[in-house]
Amino acid sequence: MAAEVIPRRPTLLFIVVLSLLFVLMSLSSRTRYIGDTRTLFERTVMTLFSPVPKAVNWAGGSAEDMYHGYLDMRRAVNENLELRRKVASLTTENVKLRQTDSDLRRLRNLLQYSEQFNMQTSMAHTIMIDTSGRFKAVIIDRGSGDGVEVNDAIVNANGLIGRVILTTNDLAKVQLVTDNNSAIGALIERTRRQGVVRGDGTGIVEMHDIPTLADVKPGDRILTAGIDGIYPKGIPIGNVIKAEQGPNLFKHIEVRPSVDFGTIEEVIVIHTRKIPTEVVRYAP
Amino acid sequence: MRWLRFIIGLLIALTLHSLLDSFFPNALAFFDPYIILVVYYSMGGNVLGAIVAGVMAGLVQDAFSGAIFGLHAFSLTVCAYIVAYINSRLMLRGTLAFGANLGGAVIVNELVIYILVNILLRQRIEMFEQGLIVKMIFTTLFGMLVYQLLAILFREEPIEATKRAAGW
Repeated sequence: MAAEVIPRRPTLLFIVVLSLLFVLMSLSSRTRYIGDTRTLFERTVMTLFSPVPKAVNWAGGSAEDMYHGYLDMRRAVNENLELRRKVASLTTENVKLRQTDSDLRRLRNLLQYSEQFNMQTSMAHTIMIDTSGRFKAVIIDRGSGDGVEVNDAIVNANGLIGRVILTTNDLAKVQLVTDNNSAIGALIERTRRQGVVRGDGTGIVEMHDIPTLADVKPGDRILTAGIDGIYPKGIPIGNVIKAEQGPNLFKHIEVRPSVDFGTIEEVIVIHTRKIPTEVVRYAP
Repeated sequence: MRWLRFIIGLLIALTLHSLLDSFFPNALAFFDPYIILVVYYSMGGNVLGAIVAGVMAGLVQDAFSGAIFGLHAFSLTVCAYIVAYINSRLMLRGTLAFGANLGGAVIVNELVIYILVNILLRQRIEMFEQGLIVKMIFTTLFGMLVYQLLAILFREEPIEATKRAAGW
């Protein structure tokens, strides 16, 4: 009966529903500001439909997390690229600084060394090195135009390199101490025994004219004696590596040069005081 | 089938409500998804069904908003009844007709809420006229867009007209 009446009287239903809703609202507005404001009916509706907002919140939160994760990843990737660029740049800078530092140290040593000499000196760079053949030579970038003369001594911070044997206006050829034709007046630092150091073309030099009874031991330092009119006194030539009885009255002494000729870069040219030709002519 | 569509629509409206609440908290002041659903359903011309739809949609809206429980249920029921009653007589169809129904329903809905808040809480709603106009424009436009999309999607008139005449 009621089921038949309601469809035919929707306006009546409408009024009843509105009245009920008005009562519901009145109750709700009365309890709105005190304690547990939610009525049982309201809580039921909320419970029924609560999965929807929960799912939305979960999906929203997940999407937000994913988005932030993606942003963080992008940021990390960019940061990584930036750091890689920085590392590359700093590595290059580091290499340059190390090179500069090494150059500085080498040049400082060279400068201190050149101050030892009371003769005029000048700096030069090697532009060619030939230590492979029997004739050992280097070419430096200073020539007669810069005051370089034949027989000027060439040294670096480690010791004696050789002497100038040929000059052009802007280049000079240097004969190394290891050259077959090189001969240097030398002395043993410990005992002050003098002799002659000659190159043998193999990279090792030999000291001659040291008597069999002379006190020479491996490790002794050999210096220039300053008696040949070319090399100033006291420049390190090398260290004795072998000292043994020779075939005659002299010892056979092998000396390892103190300069590594494969690594020569900057050198000092010592403008040696030349012995006047008149003096040479009347020399014994 | 119509009730299934309504329930799905109600869940979508609630989802939209939750989304807007989460990401654009002020958006619901200018846009009401529930009234679109109620008008859409009520345009079928079934007054009884429209009343039930208005009550259900309104209660869900009230449960998840800070309003007095029953406020939106009341206002949406009024709107649903009026729209259903008119459509049971005139059989309005098409996107423009839907827009007109929806715009009118928004105005009625807001007016009913305004009056009820005045009566029950003795409060005035600030900037009511401006809010009403903005809400009407945005809700109507969005509703028409949804209507058009549904028409394209289902390739038929989305509102199923009821054969049952409304009683008075």
